Amino acid sequence: MTVAQEARPKANGRRSASDSRLARSVLALGAVAVLVLGFRLFTDVSVFPESWDIGLADPIDRARRWLINNQTSHWLYAVLLNPITDAIDWGIRRLESLLRWLPWYCYPLLTGVGLWWTRGRAAGALGLAGVSLIGVIDLWEESFATLALMGVSVLIAMVIGIPLGIAAWRFDAVSKVIRPTMDAMQTMPGFVYLIPFVLLFGVGRVPALISTVIFALAPVVRLTEVGLRTVPQVTVEASEMFGATERQTLRLVRLPQARPAIFAGMNQTTMLAMSMVVIAAFIGAGGLGQVVLRAMQSIEVGQASEAGIAIVIMAIILDRFSTGIATADPGRDAPAIRWLAAAVLAAAAAGGLLGHNEFPESLNWQFAPYVDDAVDWARDNLYDIGGSGIGTGPFSDFVTLEFVTPLRELLSADIPWPAMIGIGMVLGLWARGLRLAIGIGAALLAIGLLGMWALSMDTLAQTIVGVAATLAIGVPVGILTAHNDLLRTAVKPVLDFFQTIPSFVLLVPVITLFHVGRIPGIIASVIYALPAAVHYTDLGLRRVPSEIHEAAESFGATRSQRLRRVEMPLAAPELMVAVNQVIMLILAMVVIAGLVGGGGLGLEAVRGLRRSDAVGRGFEAGIAIVLLASILDRLTRAIADRLRPPAAV
Amino acid sequence: MDAASVTAGDPAQVRVEGVWKVFGRRPREAREMAEAGHTREEIQTATGSVVAVRGASFHVAPGETFVVMGLSGSGKSTLIRCVSHLVEPTEGRVEVCGTDLTQAGSAKLRELRRQKMAMVFQHFGLFPHRKVVDNVAYGLEVQGVERRQRQSRARELLDTVGLEGWGDHYPQQLSGGMQQRVGLARALAVDPEVLFFDEPFSALDPLIRRDMQDELIDLQVKLRRTLVFITHDFAEALKLADRIAIMNDGAFVQVGTPLEILTSPADDYVRAFTQDAPIAKVLPACSLMRPLDGAAIDPGWPPVSSSAPLETALPHLLGSTSPVVVCDEGGTPVGLLHGEDVAGAISENRP
Repeated sequence: MTVAQEARPKANGRRSASDSRLARSVLALGAVAVLVLGFRLFTDVSVFPESWDIGLADPIDRARRWLINNQTSHWLYAVLLNPITDAIDWGIRRLESLLRWLPWYCYPLLTGVGLWWTRGRAAGALGLAGVSLIGVIDLWEESFATLALMGVSVLIAMVIGIPLGIAAWRFDAVSKVIRPTMDAMQTMPGFVYLIPFVLLFGVGRVPALISTVIFALAPVVRLTEVGLRTVPQVTVEASEMFGATERQTLRLVRLPQARPAIFAGMNQTTMLAMSMVVIAAFIGAGGLGQVVLRAMQSIEVGQASEAGIAIVIMAIILDRFSTGIATADPGRDAPAIRWLAAAVLAAAAAGGLLGHNEFPESLNWQFAPYVDDAVDWARDNLYDIGGSGIGTGPFSDFVTLEFVTPLRELLSADIPWPAMIGIGMVLGLWARGLRLAIGIGAALLAIGLLGMWALSMDTLAQTIVGVAATLAIGVPVGILTAHNDLLRTAVKPVLDFFQTIPSFVLLVPVITLFHVGRIPGIIASVIYALPAAVHYTDLGLRRVPSEIHEAAESFGATRSQRLRRVEMPLAAPELMVAVNQVIMLILAMVVIAGLVGGGGLGLEAVRGLRRSDAVGRGFEAGIAIVLLASILDRLTRAIADRLRPPAAV
Repeated sequence: MDAASVTAGDPAQVRVEGVWKVFGRRPREAREMAEAGHTREEIQTATGSVVAVRGASFHVAPGETFVVMGLSGSGKSTLIRCVSHLVEPTEGRVEVCGTDLTQAGSAKLRELRRQKMAMVFQHFGLFPHRKVVDNVAYGLEVQGVERRQRQSRARELLDTVGLEGWGDHYPQQLSGGMQQRVGLARALAVDPEVLFFDEPFSALDPLIRRDMQDELIDLQVKLRRTLVFITHDFAEALKLADRIAIMNDGAFVQVGTPLEILTSPADDYVRAFTQDAPIAKVLPACSLMRPLDGAAIDPGWPPVSSSAPLETALPHLLGSTSPVVVCDEGGTPVGLLHGEDVAGAISENRP
């Protein structure tokens, strides 16, 4: 421990000279080596002892049984939970029936007109076609179920989130509590939010809605606060000088100027809610997510693709709509489109009275059979191309055998668990200090005590492979786009597209090619996290001021010298943010991949959600996921801070 | 320097007595150090506090234009915020229209701001989310004036500042000069008795700045409001001011009319500013005239008013060796202005 103590950064947190940094890194490495070798050579400890399991699952399962038995009789349900459930369910039903009351044709038309208005003519045409396609592939009803659940979730998130953001802006004490809470909430994979609410409410739309609201709440709260804080002081002074009361200044000056930020928050909240509503199919939320889930379980890829495409269409339309509203120029006026929208609405009301509310069956056309054919073909022909040993199957085997399995063995068996905890603590000490080290140590120990050690190391191994692959592809692409505007304009819409797709849906095309198992999960997670890796690399390199480029060039640096010696070090903090984001996204996806045989913590959590006798284990797995996520998040953030150049005094 | 001694005609509409503003945790110590003659840097190192304004006092008479001139960091912007009470002064008294702002509660202060004061800001401080006309109507809206009434008043004022027809644009669609006209119209819309200007023209191009200064002078001739004007531009101060206060390191160095500042600068700091002053525009004819002493006046010598700036006599003096006749307000000759005196003053840029 003495070695580690020397490696501790100075209390004031200021960066010391680079040689002492190097010394500290060497010391940290040495400490790790000593730890691993010491435990390997002098003890026979390796797997976390089973007898140390504190057995949290049993009381949870008992609680679950108790809750099921008392759902009708106990006052907690009678007075509190059941009324909440009923009110929320009523709201969703009302919205759904209202949406279904309008004639079917007003949806493509309204979407078209709305997108034309906010984003231009091409977007309008695509919107019209997209919504029609959902009807054509006969997912009309399921889409409305999803939309209604989304609508109520987003509405509740706004009603809670905006006042909370205002309170955080107004009272520093509130901000101090809310900010770290929101940070922590955003770290957790959406999936784990489902577990406690299933425990409390059972399966259904209500727990789905509550977990969606909580999962999606953070952006609108944060951006409301940020928006209010960044209102130019001079406009506030001007308002005060006219004798406006605080309330008048808030209503007339601050909130309107914070509007773009609040709308940006609403956009993010909407997108998070969308991805969560789909995942919530796990706990019986119904809608499109349910279709994907059922189809994936029976490996009907065609059906899953149809529902997946409906989800993507819905997500993209909602995204374009909400960003369109957020960035709308207040000076813009389009009376023609306004009239058109009014006309469509009037026609909609009239049609609703006439009862044209079912999408006509005569227009149905399914492409699922074609997809199924294609999948069969792919399975026959791509899995192992011509028996040559080349194809998706051998690729999966290769990655599994060469990377995933050895790494899992290394983390869970070859490195003894106390050494693993030691490594985590040394990293924490090196990156920030004693507090982080103790936090990491405690979190890892807790994972072990929950009986989740081996599963967590499995998940960690998958995450590490995913992160390595993402960075190996994403960072070079980011470097290229940062230096080539043309490439950037070409890549950006593709990345934006992938970022809009709810995580769950990404699994559909991947299992088409790679069957089930750990590899499809990792590949889906790489696709999921790639946009973030490219984006932050690009951003970091582009932030390097042009004078610095010119200075480096004037000294005669070559392009690669410039990149290695000047740009990459200056972009290091952003790159570390990229690593942080990538880790969090990969972890979230690897967990969801439990559904397609990804193994690890995700599988355990999925089982807990789907089988009432496994709730306790699922709960434990959920806690382990949260702990693992926080460890990785704090650690990478601390390293990012360390890489930041000292701030100007 | 005691500003009260140069007050022109009481009752003053703005009275500022011994205002201090210290930012930071230990205002009393900082103040004591400042009074012992330490510089701002020394005080900041010792106490961590910044003395922005040290003991400023001045009175402004109704209808007077009082200009505070200082370089960036001299504390002038903090001073005007203390006077308008956007910033609470650490110490001292501020009285506007007979009400002591330092004693007034927030309701009283709000009332006073609605009825008596207005401010024009350096970066305009316009509301980007409101149309120009709604920007101008803001003060009236806050007062609860009914919509149609405040809109028509706002359009009236837009006409006054030469922006008729621009009411339905958004401020960011206007040029900088036009934006500041909106700022001016917005301030005038509430019909204030006292107007504060915080470097209103410094963000504008030189030519536009000159137009705006000329227009402000014209407006002031018509409206006769009490103006407190902050600037870092000495020429602007000379052009607009009835009286100027020169500020350095948080304190007033000298307070006086433009003529007093030019003819008898209090110290080298003030003198440095006067070096480049356009004295032909500022000095009146009487300042360089030789007394008549019964000398004969040629009827061909043109007359000039004794308060007119020297530059009005230049066309004649440059084209002829004869002097001009300086006359008082009644038209009676009081002295002669000779070309060589003016030439000497301009070439040395000193009266």
